[in-house]
Amino acid sequence: MSSLLQFSGHQHLRHRLVLSILSGKHVRIDKIRSDDKNPGLRDFEISLLRLLEKVTNGTIIEISVTGTAILLKPGIISGGALSHDCPLSRSIGYFLEPIVMLAPFAKTPLQLTLRGITTDEHDLSVDLFRTVTLPHLQLFGISDGLELRIKKRGAPPEGGGEVQLLCPIVKQVKTLNFVDPGKIKRIRGVAHAVRVNPQFSNRMIESSRSILNRYIPDIYLYSDVYKGDESGKSPGYALSLLAESTTSAIHCSEAIFKPGVAPEDIGLEAARALMAEVNLGGCVDRKHQIPVLLMMVLGSEDVGRCLMSEPTPRTIQFLRDVKQFFGTSFKIVAAEPGSSQLLYSCYGTGYVNANRTLA
Amino acid sequence: MDDRPHKAHRPAQSGAKAEKKDKGKGKEKQKGFNEKAFAPKSGRRADRQGRRTAERDQTRLHVPLVNRTPDDEPPPVIVAIVGPPGVGKTTLLKSLVRRYAKQTLNDVKGPVTVVSGKKRRLTFIECNNDLNSMIDIGKIADLVLLMIDGSFGFEMETFEFLNILQSHGFPKVIGILTHLDLIKKAATLRDTKKALKKRFWTEIYQGAKLFYLSGVLNGRYPDTEIMNLSRFVSVMKFRPLVFRNSHSYILADRLEDLTPRELVRTSKNKCDRTVTVYGYVRGTNLRMGTRVHIPGVGDLEMKSVTVLGDPCPMPDADSEKRRKLSEKKKLIIHAPMSDVGGVMYDKDAVWVNVPGSFTRGNTDIRQGEGEQMVMDLQDVGSTLEDAVAKSQIRLLGTSSKNLTVPNEDNVDMGDEDSDDLDLESLAGSDMEDDDSGIDSDPGDAEEGDDEDRTQDPRSTGRSSHRSGARTLPSSSKKQRNDIEYAESDSDLGDNDEDLDIGGRRVRFGEDDDHDIPSDEGEGEEEEEEEEEGDDGAVPRWKKNLAERAQSSFASSRKSRRKDWTKLIYATSLTPAEILQGEQEEGSGATEVEMDEEDFFQIKRTADAGQDEVLDQSKEALSAEELKKWEDEEMLESIRHLFITGDDNAAGDGEDGNEEGGAFGEEEDGDDSQDDEEGSAAADPEAARAAALAAKKEALKRKFDEQYDDPESSKLDFYEEKKDEMARQLALNRAEFEGIDAEARALVEGYRPGQYVRIELTDVPCELIENFDPSYPIVVGGLLPAEERFGFVQVRIKRHRWYARTLKNNDPLILSVGWRRFQTVPIYSLDDHSIRMRMLKYTPEHMHCYATFYGPVSLPNTGFCAFNSLSGETPGFRVSATGVVLDIDRSVKIVKKVKLTGVPYKIFKNTAFVKDMFNSALEVVKFEGANIRTVSGIRGQIKKAMPKPDGAFRATFEDKVLKSDIIFLRAWYSVQPRKFYNPVTSLLLSDKAHWTGMRLTGQVRRDEGLKTPLNVNSTYKRIERPPRRFNPLVVPKKLQASLPYASKPKLMAPQRAQTYLQKRAVVMEPEEKKAVALLQQIRALRKNQVARRKEKKDEKKVERQKKLAKEEAVKGEKEKEKRKEYMRVAGQKTKRAAEIEEGGGRSKRRKT
Repeated sequence: MSSLLQFSGHQHLRHRLVLSILSGKHVRIDKIRSDDKNPGLRDFEISLLRLLEKVTNGTIIEISVTGTAILLKPGIISGGALSHDCPLSRSIGYFLEPIVMLAPFAKTPLQLTLRGITTDEHDLSVDLFRTVTLPHLQLFGISDGLELRIKKRGAPPEGGGEVQLLCPIVKQVKTLNFVDPGKIKRIRGVAHAVRVNPQFSNRMIESSRSILNRYIPDIYLYSDVYKGDESGKSPGYALSLLAESTTSAIHCSEAIFKPGVAPEDIGLEAARALMAEVNLGGCVDRKHQIPVLLMMVLGSEDVGRCLMSEPTPRTIQFLRDVKQFFGTSFKIVAAEPGSSQLLYSCYGTGYVNANRTLA
Repeated sequence: MDDRPHKAHRPAQSGAKAEKKDKGKGKEKQKGFNEKAFAPKSGRRADRQGRRTAERDQTRLHVPLVNRTPDDEPPPVIVAIVGPPGVGKTTLLKSLVRRYAKQTLNDVKGPVTVVSGKKRRLTFIECNNDLNSMIDIGKIADLVLLMIDGSFGFEMETFEFLNILQSHGFPKVIGILTHLDLIKKAATLRDTKKALKKRFWTEIYQGAKLFYLSGVLNGRYPDTEIMNLSRFVSVMKFRPLVFRNSHSYILADRLEDLTPRELVRTSKNKCDRTVTVYGYVRGTNLRMGTRVHIPGVGDLEMKSVTVLGDPCPMPDADSEKRRKLSEKKKLIIHAPMSDVGGVMYDKDAVWVNVPGSFTRGNTDIRQGEGEQMVMDLQDVGSTLEDAVAKSQIRLLGTSSKNLTVPNEDNVDMGDEDSDDLDLESLAGSDMEDDDSGIDSDPGDAEEGDDEDRTQDPRSTGRSSHRSGARTLPSSSKKQRNDIEYAESDSDLGDNDEDLDIGGRRVRFGEDDDHDIPSDEGEGEEEEEEEEEGDDGAVPRWKKNLAERAQSSFASSRKSRRKDWTKLIYATSLTPAEILQGEQEEGSGATEVEMDEEDFFQIKRTADAGQDEVLDQSKEALSAEELKKWEDEEMLESIRHLFITGDDNAAGDGEDGNEEGGAFGEEEDGDDSQDDEEGSAAADPEAARAAALAAKKEALKRKFDEQYDDPESSKLDFYEEKKDEMARQLALNRAEFEGIDAEARALVEGYRPGQYVRIELTDVPCELIENFDPSYPIVVGGLLPAEERFGFVQVRIKRHRWYARTLKNNDPLILSVGWRRFQTVPIYSLDDHSIRMRMLKYTPEHMHCYATFYGPVSLPNTGFCAFNSLSGETPGFRVSATGVVLDIDRSVKIVKKVKLTGVPYKIFKNTAFVKDMFNSALEVVKFEGANIRTVSGIRGQIKKAMPKPDGAFRATFEDKVLKSDIIFLRAWYSVQPRKFYNPVTSLLLSDKAHWTGMRLTGQVRRDEGLKTPLNVNSTYKRIERPPRRFNPLVVPKKLQASLPYASKPKLMAPQRAQTYLQKRAVVMEPEEKKAVALLQQIRALRKNQVARRKEKKDEKKVERQKKLAKEEAVKGEKEKEKRKEYMRVAGQKTKRAAEIEEGGGRSKRRKT
C-alpha cells in the first residue's frame, strides 16, 4: 500500500530510518558498503535496527543475506519502558539522536535505558545531549518530563556508562518561529574526568576560561564527579561547552581526551571550537540542524521559520530526503542580503501523533 | 393694552403635538440611568445575576480554531441540496441558479458554481437518494439545504442523513419545507408547520432555520421566497470543521479521460485509465507527493497538479468598488457537467450549442471565444502532420540550422534565444530537471498556444471555453513537444534572478566575513560572451566544450551559492559538492590556487570522502579552523556577538580588519567592489538608525498602552489564542508572497481556492465506463498516516433506532474519514481495566469497543456504520456511530475459555482430576494455574499424573466432593479478521446496488442453514432433587469399643403424655367468676368488630358502584376520541395513496 522509497549507501542511514518510521513509507536501502572489504551493515547499525524494532510495534526489517541491503516496513511507535545495550563501536549519542526524534510521537511516554559509551569523538556526548539537544526540542513544546539522566559514565573503549531518557508524548509539535539569534549571555560547561586524576577536569576548565573570560562574566563550568562503579570501565575525560543567547539560542562544542594531549589543550580546543560555532551564528547549533528541521516539517500546517548557519552536508541530504518522504521542501534564503546566515522556512505537514491513544 | 393680561397658553390635549410631548416626557424620564433602581436587592440575587452574566459570556466563546481557508479568495461554498426523491430538489436548484446567474438550466448534472456576491461563490450540488452519495455529500457540504415534503412529513432518509452529518462534523443546515400548497386547510397547514418545526428543532438545535416554500410557478419556486432563501445563504457564516481543516479535498466538477485511445482500444476498454479531475481546492493546502482517496473508487496517486484559470472568477477590483455585485458578474456560471451556456462536457467530447445559424459569414451574431475557436478549427486547411512538417524545430537554441527548413524569427524565437542563456549558465545535468518542471505548467496555456501564437502562453484567463480542446484525445506527442519548448521560458525568469543575484553578490560581498568574490568567474563569463559573439560557421555549441563546461560549472557554482533552495532541490549535486563550491570561495585563504583543475579536484575529494565518512552528527574539528582562533584579533572579532560587546561600530570595523588581515593577499584593487563597499557601509548606518528608531517607537507605544489602560493590554486566554492564530496566519500569507507560483506550489502546495486539474493514474476503467454525473466525485487528500493499514480501535454505540443488535465478527460497512469500506469488527468491553473481553453482541444503550483491520484514521475521527447500503433495506440504516480511539499493529482481545474436569480421587485437600487435559504436556503448560470448583473451593494445579492421559494432582483449600466439577478459567486471545473491502460504488453501472460480504444471518438464510446449537448450551429447566442423607450408622463393634462420652446415645421419642398434659385443674369460685367475666367481655368485643366490618363492607360496595359509573362515562369519551383519531388517520393514508397514484412518486418509507 505505502509506496516504497529506494536509497543506497550506508550514509544517512539513521535519518532515513527515522523519516520512514514517521511517515510510514517503506524504505529500501541497498549498496550498504557493497564495495568495502568488509561489506554490509556494521554491528552498531544492526544494534540500531534492533533498538528501533524495540521502540516500535509491527515493524518488519528484512536484511539481505549479504547484509548490504535492508528493507524497512515501519510499524507504529509504541514507546514504554525499554532498555538497550549499545555496542562499543559507537557511543550512546548515535542511538539517542534518532530515538529522540521518534519518541515524542510514541503511543506511551518513552523510558529508555541505554548502556554503553557515553562520550566519544564521533557522536554527541550525553552531556551535550542533555544540555543542548533537549532544550532544542523544548522549542517545539516537547518539554514536560523531558529528561536525560546520566547514571553512569563510560569512556571508550570499554564503556560501561548508563543513561536513561525520559520523553513525553505530544499530540502535535508547535510551529517554530525563531529568527532572532540574540546575543550570548551565558556560557556553561561540564567537565568530567573518570578513572583519572580528578584534577584533570579543573585543568580543562582553567584553560578554557583563559579564552572565554574575556567575553562575559557569566561563565560556569562544572566539574562533574563520578566515582567508583558510576565512572565506567575505562579512563577518560572531556569538556563540553555551550553558549546561550538572550533568546535562548544555544551553540555548543566539545572536546575529549586524546592520547598524548594535555588536559589544558583539550580545554583550549573546546573553547576554540565554541568560538568557531558561535561565529557561524544562527539560532540553532550546526549539530542540531537536523532535529530542528525535522520538527519544523512535522509542525502544524503553518509556516515555521528558523535562522541557521549554512547547512552541513548531512543537512542537505536530510532536506532532500524529507522532500521524498513528506513532500515538503524548504525555502532557504539569506536572512538579510549579505549575511552568511540563512532563513529556513517551510510549511508544516500538520503531522499529528496518530499513535496516541484517545482517552 | 399692556395691563391686559395675556391669555395663558393652553397645551394641546390631543393630537400629534400632545403625543409628541408625551413621548418627550417619557424620554426625559429614562434619560438618567438610576443605578439604584437596577441594583440587585439582595446579595444572593446579585450573586445570581453575576453568575448568569458570566455564564452567558462563556456561551459566546468557542474553542478557537484556525481557519485555513484564505479570506481573500476562498473556494466556493458547497451548498448541497438533500432530500427524498420528489421533494423538489432539482426545482430548487434551478430556481437558485436562476436567481444568481439568470440562466435556466434544463438538465442539471453535477456541481454548479455561481457567483453570489462580491466575496462569495457558491457551488450547488444535488444529492440523489443513494446512501453512498449522502455520505460523500455529508463529508464535503458546507451548507445543507435539507428538503422536507411538508405534506408528507419527515422520511427515513432525512434522519439517516442527519446522523451521517453528525458523525462527520456537522455543517450548517437549513431546512426547507415544500409541497405546502398540497395542504388545503389553513389550520392543518399551521399545525403541520408547527409539528415539523418542533421535530426539526429537536434534530438540529432549538431555533434552527426552517424555510417554507409554497408552490411551483413556471417550474420554479416563487421568486420572493427564493430571494429570501438566497439572502440567508449569502450571509451564512461557517465555522471550520476539524476534519476538513486538516485535509485538503476537491469536489470534482469535471472529469476527463486522458488515456490514449489506442491503448483503450487494444485492451478492449479494460486498461487502467489516466484521468484528470477538475475542481477547487478546499480544506488545507493540497500537496504533491500525497495520495488521494476518491470515495467509491479507492486510493489513487496524483501524477500532476496544475493550477488553471478560475472558470468562475470572483469579481475583480473594479467591480469591488460598487456596493452591489454588477449584473455582468452575475452571469458567470460554471457547470461543466450540465448543459450550461451551450457547452456540454460529455465523457469524451465537448458539445457546443450555437444560437442562430452556425454558418460562415454570419457576422450579425457576435461570436464568443469558444465559438470563434470552433470556427477557426473549421478553417484549418492542412492536417496536423502538415503543420508539424512545416514547423521549425531546432535541437539547441543556438544551433544555426533548424531540423527542417529554416524560418524567419518570430516572437517565439525571442523566447528561445533567451533559453540559450539559461542553458549555458546551467550545468548540463540541470536540463533534465528543467524539463520535468515544464510538465507541470498550466494546461490551458498548452492548448491556447497552438491555436494563436500571438497570445501570451502564460496567460490563463477564463479557461471554461478554451479548455474544451483538452478533451480531444489528439493531445499528441508532437504537440506536446512543441509546447514544452515554448513553455521553458519559465526558466528564463529564474535565470534572470540568478543574474540579479549575481550582481548583488558583488555589492554585498564585504559584509560576509569569508566571502571574497574572485573576479575570475566573471572574466570567464565575459570571454564566453565574446566567443559567442564571433562564432563562425562551426556550430557554437561544439566549440571548446570542455572549457566551457568547466567554466560554466565554476560560474554556476558561484551564482548558485545564493540560491540554496534550487541547489538542494533542483540539482543532483552531492551535498559535499554543494558545500565545496561554497567553501572554496569562503575560505579562499587555504586554497589560493584555483585554476583549471578545480573542477576535477572537487570530484576527487568527493570520491575520497565517500569511504571513510561516518554517519556522525558531530563534525570532526579541523585543525586549521581551530588554529584561526588562536589569533587574538580573531577572538576579538566576535565580541559583538556577546551581550557585553558593542554591536554597531565595532562589528563593522572588525570585519574590515579581518578581511585586511587574514585575506590580505586575496584582495586586489577592484574598484567597483570598493565603491559598493562604501555605499554598503553607508547603508547599514542608516538602516541601523532606522531600526533603532523603530524599536524606540515600539517601546513607546507599548508603554503608552500600558500606562493609559493597563486592563486592555492584558488579554484573556481566548483573545490571546485568537491573536496568536491571526499572527501565524498573517505570517503564512506573508512568507511566500513574493516567490513565483511554481516554487510556491513546491513549498506550500496548492492553496484552497485555486482551481486545479489533478491528473490521476491507474484509475479503474469502470469509473469512466460507468460515469454518472449525478453521483458526486470527491477527491480527498490523505495524511501520511492514513495511507497505512492497521488495527483500529473505536468506541462504538449501536444506534437506538437501529432495530437489531450487531453481532461479533459480522461484516459492517464503515464510513471513516474519506473512506467507505466493509470490514469485520470484534466487539469488546474493558473488563476491570485488566483485559479487553470479547463480546458476542453489542450491548444495549451502551458504548463498547470495536476493533477492526483497515486503513488507519487519526484518533478522534467520527464514523458511522451500516449493515447494508441498499435502498431496499427496510427501517433505519445507520446501525452504529462512534469515534476512533486508537491505532495499533496488534490487538489484545480475549475471550473466556473454561476447561472442566472431574476429581477421580480425593484426599483431604488434594484431589486427582481428570478430563481437563488430553496429555501431560498440556498439564505442564498449566502447572500452577488457579482452578476452582463450582461450589467455590479454590485450588491449584500441581503436577501431571502419568496414568490417565491428562490427569493431574491438584490441591484445594478444602476437601472437594466427588460430585464437584472443577474448572480452569483461561483467556484465549482473538484476532480480528484481516478483511477490508472498499465500497466501490462509483465503479458499478448500477451504483445503488453495491453488494459486499453477506452477514452471517443472511448467509444462513440464503443457504438454508440452521443456527448451530450446542445441546449443552441450551437453557433447560433445572431440576434439583432434594438431597437425601443416610443416617450415620456406627457399627456395633465400634460402638462397643468407644468410651461412653463418644458413644452414640440413641433414645426413642417419648410416646406417653407428660404430667403437665395429663393433670386436672380445679378452680376457686372467684376464679371461676373472673374467667366467666373475661369470656363475656371477649364475646362482646367480637360482636362489635363483626358489626363494624359489615358496615364497612357495605360502604365499600357503594363506592365501587359509584366508581364503575364514572369509569363508564370516561370510557365513552375515550371511545369517541379514538374514533375521531382513526378517522383522520384513515383520511391521511387515503390521500397519501392518491398522491402516490397521481404523482407517480417512488415508494416511501414512513417514519
